[in-house]
Amino acid sequence: MLIEREDLSVLMVAVAKGDRLAFKHLYDRTSARLLGIVRRIVRDRPLAEEVLQEVYLRIWERAGTYRTEAGTALSWMISIARHRAIDVLRQRKEIVLAPLEDGEDWLERVAGPGDGETDLEDRDRLRHCLQRLEEPQRSCILLAYCDGYSRDELATRYEAPVNTIKTWLHRGLAVLRSCLEAP
Amino acid sequence: MTSTASETPMTRAGEYVLGTLAGAECEAFRAALATDPVLQAEVREWERRLAPLAGAIAPESPSPAVWRAIESRLAAGAAAQAAEAVTAGEKTSAAVIRLRRSVVLWRGVATVAGALAAALILFVALGGRWPALEQGQEFVAVVNRGGDLPALIVRVDTQGGVVTIRALGAEAPQGKSLELWYIGAGKAPKSLGVVENASGPIVIPAVLRQAGVEGGTIAVTEEPKGGSPTGGPTGPIVYSGKLIEVQR
Repeated sequence: MLIEREDLSVLMVAVAKGDRLAFKHLYDRTSARLLGIVRRIVRDRPLAEEVLQEVYLRIWERAGTYRTEAGTALSWMISIARHRAIDVLRQRKEIVLAPLEDGEDWLERVAGPGDGETDLEDRDRLRHCLQRLEEPQRSCILLAYCDGYSRDELATRYEAPVNTIKTWLHRGLAVLRSCLEAP
Repeated sequence: MTSTASETPMTRAGEYVLGTLAGAECEAFRAALATDPVLQAEVREWERRLAPLAGAIAPESPSPAVWRAIESRLAAGAAAQAAEAVTAGEKTSAAVIRLRRSVVLWRGVATVAGALAAALILFVALGGRWPALEQGQEFVAVVNRGGDLPALIVRVDTQGGVVTIRALGAEAPQGKSLELWYIGAGKAPKSLGVVENASGPIVIPAVLRQAGVEGGTIAVTEEPKGGSPTGGPTGPIVYSGKLIEVQR
C-alpha cells in the first residue's frame, strides 16, 4: 500500500497531542519499513524488533518536536530508527562483515518502483549523483548508510587505514552534495 | 581521531547521518548539534537527501508482540501520569465525540447539488481502488480540513459495527450541525449521523458491512442544526478523508 506523505504528517501532529489511535495508525503504516531498515543494520531479527520498540517509544515522546519543514514525517522517523539501530550495533562492538553487495545493485534498487513515499525527483537525483561517485567512495557511503558500517569496519573491508576511509567518506560526501545541489 | 583538511560542517553532518562518527566524536557532534543551527540544517539536508536509499530497503512486518509491548509501555506511562491528568482536566482537543445514530439514515438515493457531487466523485476517483471490506476489518480515516490541521479521526470497526470519531479540535459552527457521510466509489453520500457530544457510538449501516463495497471516503459537511433536511449533504464539505485499512 502506498504511504501518503500528507497523511503521515497529519498523523504525526495528532500523535504529538497524545493521540494513541493516531499513533497506532502511524505504526501500522510505517513499522514494516522501519523494521526493514533496522534489521539491515543490526541483522538479528529479535534484536531488530527490540530496537523497533524503542524507536516507536521515542517517536511517541518526540512527535512534538517534528516540524514539517525539516522533511517528511517518514524521513524524520527513519533518522530516529537509523541512529538507534547504529547505537545498538556499536554497543555490540562486533566487526560485521556481511557479504558485499555491489554498489551497482543498490543503484538498481534506488531506481526501482519505490515505496510511494519518496519524491521521484529526489530519488532520481540521488541515484544520478551516486552514479557519478568513484569507487570505493560510493560503496563506503552506501555501506555506512544502509548497513551501518563504521569507519573501522570499512577499513577492514577495504584493507585501508581508518584515516583513508575518513578521507574517502569526506570526498564522497562533498562530491555527492555538490552534485545534489547542482541546478 | 585527528581532524583532517577534508572535514567541514557539511562532511561532519554527513558522517553523523551516515553513522560513521564514533564514540567521543559522535558525542561531541551531538552536543554541538543541540545549539548550532548550521549543523542542524546540514543534518536535515543530509537526512532528506539520503532518505531515498532507506526507501529502497525491503520492508519486513514486525511480529504482533512488538506493538503489544509498545502499547503496554505506553499504558504504564499513562498510568503514572493519570493523577496529573485528572487535576489538569481532560483536554477537549482529545475528547472522543461519539455519533448519535441519525433517525433517518436511509432516504433513498439523494440528488446532490452539482458542485458538491462532482467534488466528491473526483475525490473518490482520485483515491483509487481499495480492498473490499471483509468481516472484522477495521478502517481508519484521517479527516482533515484541506490537508492542513488534523481534525477528525474516524474509526470504523466492521465487526463491532461501530463508528467512533475522535475529534482534534473540530467544532460545529454556531447554530449548525456537523454531519458525517460515507461515500462509496461512484455512489451518493450516505449519512452516518450527526456528530454530537455525549451520545452512544453509531451502528454501521449495512452498506459499510457489505462485502464488495469498494473503499470509500468519509466526509463531514456543515448542515442545519439536527442534520440535513434532505437526506443528502446540503452544506459545504468541512472535512474529507479516505478510509484506510488498519492491519491488526
